[in-house]
Amino acid sequence: MNRDEAKNILLLYRSDADAADPQVATAISFMKSDAELREWFEAHCATQKILREKFRQVAAPEGLVQQIVSEHKAMTEKNSRRDKFIVAGALVAIVAVVAVMAVVYLTPHRSPQVAYNTLVNFQSRMLSEASIGYAMTLATNDQDQIKSYLAKNDCPADYTLPTALAKTPATGCTKEDFLGTRVSMICFATGKPLTANHPGDLWLFVIPNSVLKDPPTSATPQLAEVRGISVATWTQGGEAYVLATPGDQQTVQKYL
Amino acid sequence: MAEGVDFESLVAKHYEPLYQFAFSLTRDEAEACDLTQQTFCIWAAKGHQLRDVSKVKTWLFTTLHREFLGTRRRQSRFPHVELEHASAELPSVSPVSVNQLDAAQLLEALAQLDEIYRAPVALFYLQDYSYNEIAEILEIPLGTVKSRLTRGLARLYQLLSDKIKS
Repeated sequence: MNRDEAKNILLLYRSDADAADPQVATAISFMKSDAELREWFEAHCATQKILREKFRQVAAPEGLVQQIVSEHKAMTEKNSRRDKFIVAGALVAIVAVVAVMAVVYLTPHRSPQVAYNTLVNFQSRMLSEASIGYAMTLATNDQDQIKSYLAKNDCPADYTLPTALAKTPATGCTKEDFLGTRVSMICFATGKPLTANHPGDLWLFVIPNSVLKDPPTSATPQLAEVRGISVATWTQGGEAYVLATPGDQQTVQKYL
Repeated sequence: MAEGVDFESLVAKHYEPLYQFAFSLTRDEAEACDLTQQTFCIWAAKGHQLRDVSKVKTWLFTTLHREFLGTRRRQSRFPHVELEHASAELPSVSPVSVNQLDAAQLLEALAQLDEIYRAPVALFYLQDYSYNEIAEILEIPLGTVKSRLTRGLARLYQLLSDKIKS
C-alpha cells in the first residue's frame, strides 16, 4: 500500500467504527509509519467533523411540521368524505338496480293474457286435465242436475248438446278454470271400463267465446287429433265447445 | 407491519433530517419542503405495507430520493467519470479554512456536485448512515456507494478549496 492508496481509503473514514474494516485498518496501520499521511489524516478528520456540523446546521423552515400534519389531516378527511361518497354512490346504484329488477320482474305481465288465451291453449289445457286425471264434483247422469250445479258455480250452463251426445249417458261434471274464467266440464261414458281417476272417457268443455282470442268461427264441428285424443271444436250461442275422447280423429264424430 | 406508527410522531422525528437531505439534493427551500411533504404523503398512503418498523427511516429516505429522481429525468444520462486516482487530485483543505465557510456556502458547493455524487455525499455528512444503509437508501451496490463517495468527496474538496481561495 502506498500513500495515495491509503488516502483513498481513509478519505471515507468517519469514526472508530470504520476502523474495524480490514482495508481501513491496514490504511491506519500504514499511516502510523508515514508522518505526512498522519498529518493529512488528522486534518482530514477535523475537516470532516466541521463539514458534518455545518451541514447539519441546515434547519427546516418553521411550520413545516404543522404544514405536513395539517395537509395529512385534510387529505385524510378528504379521503374519508370520498370513501363515504363512494359508499353512498354504491348504495344508490344497488338500490337503483334492485328497483329496476323489481319493476321488471314484479310488474304484472299483461301480455301473457293476450298470448295464452288462444283456442289451442284452451284445448291443450283442458285435454291435459282430462288425461292426467280429475275428480268430478258432481256424479250424476241427470243433465238437469249437471246444468243446475254448473250454473250455481258460475260455469256456462246454457249449453246445447249435440243429438248423439245427448243420448250418451253422462257420469257427472266439474268446474275447471282457464285464465280466471270458469269452464264447464261434463263427463260421459262411452261404455268402456272407467277408473277412479277417469270417471268418464268422453268430455265436453264449454267456455264463453269472449275469453278466447281466436274462438271457433263455425257451428260445424272441426275434427282434430291431439296426442291420441280425438277432438271436435265448434261454436254455438256465443260459447266455444270442445268435445274429446281417446281415439283417432274419427272417434269423436259419432257423438256429434 | 408499520400500521401502528403514529403519523405525527413520525413526522416530528424525521422531518428535519429528511428536509436536510432534500435541501442538499435540490438546493431549493420550497422544493425541499415539497419533497419532504410528498415523502410523508406517500408514507400515509403506503407506509402500512412496510413490515419491519425498524426500517421506517431508511424507507423514508429511499422514498424521498426516489421522488427526487422522479423529478429529474436525466439521471440515466449522467456521465460516469472514472476517477482512478481521486486522492492524487485531492486538494488540501484545512479545518481552519473550512471553518470560515458557512452552511450556505457548503451547501452551494454540494449543489455543484453531479447528482450521482450529491446524494451519497449528503447522506454521508447529514446522517451517521453506514455505507450499507446508504446503498440501501439509494438502491445501488455497496461498491458503487464507496466509489461515488470517494469521487464526490474529492470533487467537494476541490470546490471548497476554490471557494476558500476566492
